[in-house]
Amino acid sequence: MKKNDNITIWQDVVSIKELILSVVISVSLTMGLYFLVPSNDNSVKLLFGLLGSIIGFIISTILYNPKRKVEKI
Amino acid sequence: MNILIQILIGIILAIAIYTIVGFIPGTDETSVLVPISLALSLSGINAQVVLAFFMASIITLSITNAIPTALVGLPGGVMSSPMMEHSLYLKDRGLSAVVIKKMAVGSLIGVMVSLPLSILLSNIIAPYGEVLKRYYSILFVFGAIFLSLLSKNKIASLLSIIPLSFLFMSLRHLYWSLDIVPREKNVTISFFLAITIGPLLLNIFELFDKEKRKKMKVIEDKIITIPSQDDRNINPFKIITKKELRNSILASLISVFLFVLSPVGLTILLGEVFSRNTKDRKERSFMSITVMSSLIQSTYISGILIPLISIGIPLSPVSIGPGIALFDAAPRFTTDNNIHHILSFNEMLLPIILAVGIALLFSYYLTNRYASIISRFVLEKIPHEAILALFISFIFLLSYIDAGVINIFGVILIGLVSGILNRHGVNYGVQFMSLYAAPWIFNLFLG
Repeated sequence: MKKNDNITIWQDVVSIKELILSVVISVSLTMGLYFLVPSNDNSVKLLFGLLGSIIGFIISTILYNPKRKVEKI
Repeated sequence: MNILIQILIGIILAIAIYTIVGFIPGTDETSVLVPISLALSLSGINAQVVLAFFMASIITLSITNAIPTALVGLPGGVMSSPMMEHSLYLKDRGLSAVVIKKMAVGSLIGVMVSLPLSILLSNIIAPYGEVLKRYYSILFVFGAIFLSLLSKNKIASLLSIIPLSFLFMSLRHLYWSLDIVPREKNVTISFFLAITIGPLLLNIFELFDKEKRKKMKVIEDKIITIPSQDDRNINPFKIITKKELRNSILASLISVFLFVLSPVGLTILLGEVFSRNTKDRKERSFMSITVMSSLIQSTYISGILIPLISIGIPLSPVSIGPGIALFDAAPRFTTDNNIHHILSFNEMLLPIILAVGIALLFSYYLTNRYASIISRFVLEKIPHEAILALFISFIFLLSYIDAGVINIFGVILIGLVSGILNRHGVNYGVQFMSLYAAPWIFNLFLG
């Protein structure tokens, strides 16, 4: 049997390892961009933070595959 | 930039984001609506744009959330879970394509009925707004008790109101005494988000428990089948029967007047009442689906618009839940200075009507034509891990902005407590009301 660490969370299947890595990627990009942006304007920092979270989302989407098997009938 | 163009951009963005989010199974409405609308409010964008964005979000989400329920047999969100039983029954009979069309028409009816009626009702209630405002902190206490009495676990809900208030107030006092936030600031929004992600957070914590993890394990791949759609007919009157039309109109009409009740509760209750008389099992399921789709729209629209237009205080479960960023997004919006106070009635009307109209037409057409293509794309390409990570980073960011690093831990604490309470039948509504009632309850004990 192949090694499998899939679990159900929030009503869908995820791999624990990939979930943890995705969280680390997204959170560090979000907070990273928020702090690194050279601005004192809080709304600019917020927007950069959000941008970071979207970049994180795209990276995780590219790195990992959904655990669902889709069939068309 | 011209304000009209900004509004239109806001609407298009909302449609784009929530079409994708809606197709993702299991995404809870409050947790997907609040962080984004909140960030938008805090960014200082024009209030009309925030309002338009939000209205377009809820209309889009209410339609697209229903799709996974019909196509793949997974609820798109909390609001579509009442339809599961009927959707599955019809899906097994190969009728998903018809179900989707009926859902779209149901939504159309729900919006058409509730939008004008909610605006009308707000204007009738508005003169009493001043009186209500004077007592508003007590109203939240009543709200908490009222929602407790309607919840699954009445006694646990009632018992948790005061301890929850203490939890919120103790963290606020801690932040004040450490000079992390100024005395006059009540940290609310990040506590609110903490409640929202409570169940998810608790789930993640349980991953570290070996016994629990075994139970959550899935050995086999999840197999999902997507039926194809026939895409010719999009004329609403040919899709639903006269009786379905009549019942949907009636149900939406009634739900508008009951805007202080929980939208899921209303959808289950009225959906059941208006389909009970249909004898044939298949017809009854179709009736339920159509009526419930109308109700999902009408409960959301009335729940947000009536409190917003008439008083500016989040007194309904929708406004204190998914719509909170329009009422309270400190420092931009507070309960004394939010969209209700900033925009006049006429200034609110334009973004509302534009957003509702465009989002409705777009999602009606889209779901009728492309539902199975979009479902396939989302289910095959977007991993659930990325979605969870996205929302967790939103919460991190917004907690930090609210009260620094220490608040990230405060948020985790509240999330765990509310996740446990949630699992035992104390619903979001009761917890949100307790959060807003907390200062008043706390003062009672100070005598």
